[in-house]
Amino acid sequence: MKKYNAFCRPAIVISLILSMSILIVSSAKAADPVKVSVLTDMSGPYAGITATNVEAAKMAIKDFGGKLLGQDILFVYRDHQCKPGLANQKAKELYEKQKVDVIFDCPNSAAALAVSKQALIHKRLFFSIGSGTTRTSGPDCNRYTFDWAYNDYMLATSVGLWAADNLGKRWYTITADYAWGHDLLKHFKHALETKGGKLLGNDMVAFGTADFSPYIINAMNAKPDVLVLLNSGKDGVNSTKQAIEFGLKKKTKIVHALLFIEGIKAVGPEVFADDYVTGAWYWKSKNPGSKEFVQQWRKKFNKPPNWMNAATYSCVTQYLKAVKRAASKDPKAVIKELEGHTFRDLLANPGYIRPEDHMQVGKAYILRAKRPEEIKEPWDYFQIMDVMPAEEVYMDPTKTGCKMGCF
Amino acid sequence: MTSQFVIMQLFNGLILGSIYVLLSLGLSIIFGMLGIINFAHGAFYMLGAYVAYTLTAYVCPNFWFAFIFAPIIMAGFGAACEVFLLRRLYRLPPLYIMLFTFGLMMIIQDIIRMIFGSMGVPFGTPKSLMGAVNLGFMCYPKYRLFLIIITALSSLGVWLFLSRTRLGSIIRAGTDNSSMVDALGINISRIFTLVFGIGIGLAGLAGVLAAPIQNVSPLMGMDFLIDCFVVVVIGGMGSIAGSIIGGVIVGEIIASGIMIWPPIAHMLIYLFMAAFLLIRPRGLFGREAFHD
Repeated sequence: MKKYNAFCRPAIVISLILSMSILIVSSAKAADPVKVSVLTDMSGPYAGITATNVEAAKMAIKDFGGKLLGQDILFVYRDHQCKPGLANQKAKELYEKQKVDVIFDCPNSAAALAVSKQALIHKRLFFSIGSGTTRTSGPDCNRYTFDWAYNDYMLATSVGLWAADNLGKRWYTITADYAWGHDLLKHFKHALETKGGKLLGNDMVAFGTADFSPYIINAMNAKPDVLVLLNSGKDGVNSTKQAIEFGLKKKTKIVHALLFIEGIKAVGPEVFADDYVTGAWYWKSKNPGSKEFVQQWRKKFNKPPNWMNAATYSCVTQYLKAVKRAASKDPKAVIKELEGHTFRDLLANPGYIRPEDHMQVGKAYILRAKRPEEIKEPWDYFQIMDVMPAEEVYMDPTKTGCKMGCF
Repeated sequence: MTSQFVIMQLFNGLILGSIYVLLSLGLSIIFGMLGIINFAHGAFYMLGAYVAYTLTAYVCPNFWFAFIFAPIIMAGFGAACEVFLLRRLYRLPPLYIMLFTFGLMMIIQDIIRMIFGSMGVPFGTPKSLMGAVNLGFMCYPKYRLFLIIITALSSLGVWLFLSRTRLGSIIRAGTDNSSMVDALGINISRIFTLVFGIGIGLAGLAGVLAAPIQNVSPLMGMDFLIDCFVVVVIGGMGSIAGSIIGGVIVGEIIASGIMIWPPIAHMLIYLFMAAFLLIRPRGLFGREAFHD
């Protein structure tokens, strides 16, 4: 017995150590590859603009080399149809079942807020690109959420300040009657008042109204220099078409909250001619890598990308680079690499990720929609009138209401 | 708020009313004669606009060509729907037809979205109707005046057809008592097809007329659908006069609401409808027989 025991104990210990090390080594080897996901509107109201963000992300991964931390980068995507409830459900599925490390995009402010909460619960990253709410970089900010390329404050302030200086100081606004519209109105009004302008009146319009003629009549009655249309998509088209009908555009300039090249192509440039809007980027940009990106995109889609596509490409690229710098995909390490980081890419030259509120800031482009006779190249619907620096168009980071907590 | 401003808004309410009138005429006729609540009516309206776009873009770039043929094509399509799809559901309880038309609405909208995209297609005002006319109290777009006139003519036409022609009287008889009409040897199912076709044709006409002043997109019918039911309830199911007067009333209520306080505009029409349902459920001109 003694002989058996003397042999047994060391053998047991050695085999335990061996099996433990095999387990540790194999679990280290099975350290999962970086898994990237895009959650966007692919069949809802904004699909015409955002569905291609999936391709933008794929392109960014491919251009990065397709590999990170020694393994292939994995990619999945989901459609939330611009519905907050569905976004919440998909975000949970992505973080829990698909075990993604990061979610990109999520247009629709309520949806983005929901996903942001999921990111905090699961302690994984979320980059809000498509939604405009200032709350994700404001009162509802958290350490795991980043806001990329734009928010409502930047949209309103950039073209607001510029329009007050260049188009006139007497404004009338027609606002889509829900959270996004109200938020934009607040920021536009603020921008106008800093320049000493006057808001002559505002009409709140139920989302989905087809006939804006009563509001156009209201606006014309006030004789403004600028009519600001705080709506998008179908409502934007209807209000603009009807403003033309009543002859409003003869005396008043129109400023939009959001307008994309796809929207102009869909209904024809004569509808939006001489209207103004802000963009975070335009495909004629000379930023590093911009031309190549546009060329690649054109080959695939036969049209240039819109600035949401460029923002997605930039955001995915910067995330992958941050993981590389951190040499780990651990969210905390990556977040530390992102906060305070300055970069130059096709979207922003330069771009800066503010540590106080996780907002990625860059210049804003004031765009004028060209008249049909001015369009010399297919899809060249905008003229860049001015470029505004980030400091002027983003809220002071100490005033956003964001209390960036710990991990 | 000057009196000139009030007159402007009230006059413009007629336009809002016109689209409602055309759509509600079709809806009302279909319900009145066939007992079908057509949830797909908004989708047919949208389809009319897309047919007009397709005609002007690919067949003949003339608005008047589309103006004449789009409603005719839609009427034919409506008749085909009735013959091949709806007819099979008559013997079932009304809920089944409602569900079917609801499903049809979703199918039509999604097919259009898949073919044409969700952002819409261009459609401009015809050159002969561009510009505005000085009415004294305001400069009003020519095209909208044209819209009001066409609506008035169509309503008159439908009323004359139903009240003064033999076919019209057969249709009216079929509403009251379809089995009796059948027993008298008249092919009632052909009458049903005709009525459904006319109703959808009117929806198509509304779509063509709306195309220059609205965003022609897959969901354009959704904005009107609920309001059309309000019009039909206020005016009375199955009544031509009811649809016309109901449509104008609803248009004017919205215009007035916007003058007072815009968020209230749409709520007012629902309050109005609720009041009607409580006080006089059959609407202004509806017949009591409907409420069984």
